Amino acid sequence: MNKRARDFLREQLLPQFEVDPQMLRRRTRRDVLLFGAGAVAALAGGGSLLPQDTLTRLGLRGKMNPPMKEWLLNRALRIDDDVAEALYSGNRMVPVYTKSQITPIKNNYNGATPDPGYVPGWHLTLDGLASGESVALDIPSLITRFSILEQITRLVCVEGWSAIAWWAGLRFDDLLCAYPPASQAKWVRVESSVNLDASGNPDPYYVSIDLATARHPQTLLATHLSGQPLTVEHGAPLRLLAPVKLGLKNVKAITRLTYVSEEPRDYWAERGYSRYDGI
Amino acid sequence: MSDSATSRKEAISTSTPSGQPGVLVAAVRVAKRHHLLVRWSHWLNVPILLGLSLSGISIYWASPIYQHKPDPLTGNFDVAADIGIWICAHVPGLQHYSSPPDWIYNHLSLGPGMLASALRLHWLCAYAFMLNGAVYLAGLVAGGGWRGLLPRRTDVLDAFRMFRYYIGLPLAKLARRAWPHPVFSTKYNALQRAAYFSVPMAGLFSVATGWAIHKPMQFHSLVAIFGGFDTARVWHFWFMWVFMLFVIPHVVLVFADGWDTFRGMIVGWSARVKRSEVHGS
Repeated sequence: MNKRARDFLREQLLPQFEVDPQMLRRRTRRDVLLFGAGAVAALAGGGSLLPQDTLTRLGLRGKMNPPMKEWLLNRALRIDDDVAEALYSGNRMVPVYTKSQITPIKNNYNGATPDPGYVPGWHLTLDGLASGESVALDIPSLITRFSILEQITRLVCVEGWSAIAWWAGLRFDDLLCAYPPASQAKWVRVESSVNLDASGNPDPYYVSIDLATARHPQTLLATHLSGQPLTVEHGAPLRLLAPVKLGLKNVKAITRLTYVSEEPRDYWAERGYSRYDGI
Repeated sequence: MSDSATSRKEAISTSTPSGQPGVLVAAVRVAKRHHLLVRWSHWLNVPILLGLSLSGISIYWASPIYQHKPDPLTGNFDVAADIGIWICAHVPGLQHYSSPPDWIYNHLSLGPGMLASALRLHWLCAYAFMLNGAVYLAGLVAGGGWRGLLPRRTDVLDAFRMFRYYIGLPLAKLARRAWPHPVFSTKYNALQRAAYFSVPMAGLFSVATGWAIHKPMQFHSLVAIFGGFDTARVWHFWFMWVFMLFVIPHVVLVFADGWDTFRGMIVGWSARVKRSEVHGS
């Protein structure tokens, strides 16, 4: 290292000066009081940001919901979604894996797994098309009309687990080319009417997908898992596979796609999760 | 966190302040120890890291890293739940705890089953943590404090001397023997420097592993650096414990060291000027 670099990195004498002891006392008193006030404010402000359930468990009765709380937490969620949207690039491919890297994938249906009775009569309805008409497609027509691609990618759940799985299906983009959405459409509402809640009652599932994600080359409408047609556990006969989104956007047993201009409702966003969910 | 018995006394010199001719007033010599931005970011880390850890452990609950085959009786697979069950079985007064598997989550996190709230709080605190890190760096640059944190060649030997001092201190106190603090001419001793250099690094790696597991597709190269998605989660989990394990001796030693050190992080001034006399490293 040359001398100039050494001098630049060398620890230097801390700046020193003389003060009147009274001045030191006054300054100390002022700063310690400010510090104390800051600590109290941080305790109250930070504490009130904790979820209501946590505060109740801590024994703090009564609602602790300052008006800023929801606004601030939702703002952080929106900023994070905006960051995710800015990071997204239609040209950036997600990593693909080999068959030896496949890991088990669990059935993570939030409620009960639907009864397979819906499968024989299943069809996919397309709404919001440029033609203004509603189109119904069944599995044989989807498989014969579109080329089926294989893809081994990772599915990442909001819970933190992930699975590398071998999927096959048609490109969402190919369906968009064959049945173009209305020109003002920016979103797809992806819906499964066969979804059930934990007690087995109908609980239609719906998510929002931006058209940019739908057009990503690795976004599939999957028909197969591990070389076999999808089982009911994994969304027979057709599920969304958008590896650039969290698993909760990868709707199983899709029954309807609706192209819309305004951001549609989202099942999990209504339950306190984020909306864009790009990963 | 600097401690030395040799320089406990505030360096006092006498001078005659103008306006009071003839009256001798002791003026105190002080050193500027921490830049304002360093002090602010230091204290802001307390609520931010607390929020990150509490919400982080709630997120961990949704899919624990450390799992085993489900217990045939209870169906439990989470090691953290096992620890809670063990604590409730062995700690007096906890025998009748309502939900032993949740004990860890009830005491170290926001609580079990709170993924959505935990994620929202985690993002808020994570962005605050990154902004605060930038404030800290700005303070290090503005105050020149970054130079005092850099590792140097003498560190290994000096760290050993400090280590020996801490190990021997309790015995020396019991035996009422003098046990002098090693003398250093730098702002921090080697052990402090190692800690104050490593902790910001742990912050940097927490942020990097956090982004890797938050955006594993857009940042897949970053994920690969940390050994894949699942491994990056493990790293992220253990970086949290680096902070936790740092905080305990950090707080203990500040109390042991006394008022001047604590005041240094609030007011920024230290009256222990002797050790500020740095003559190169």
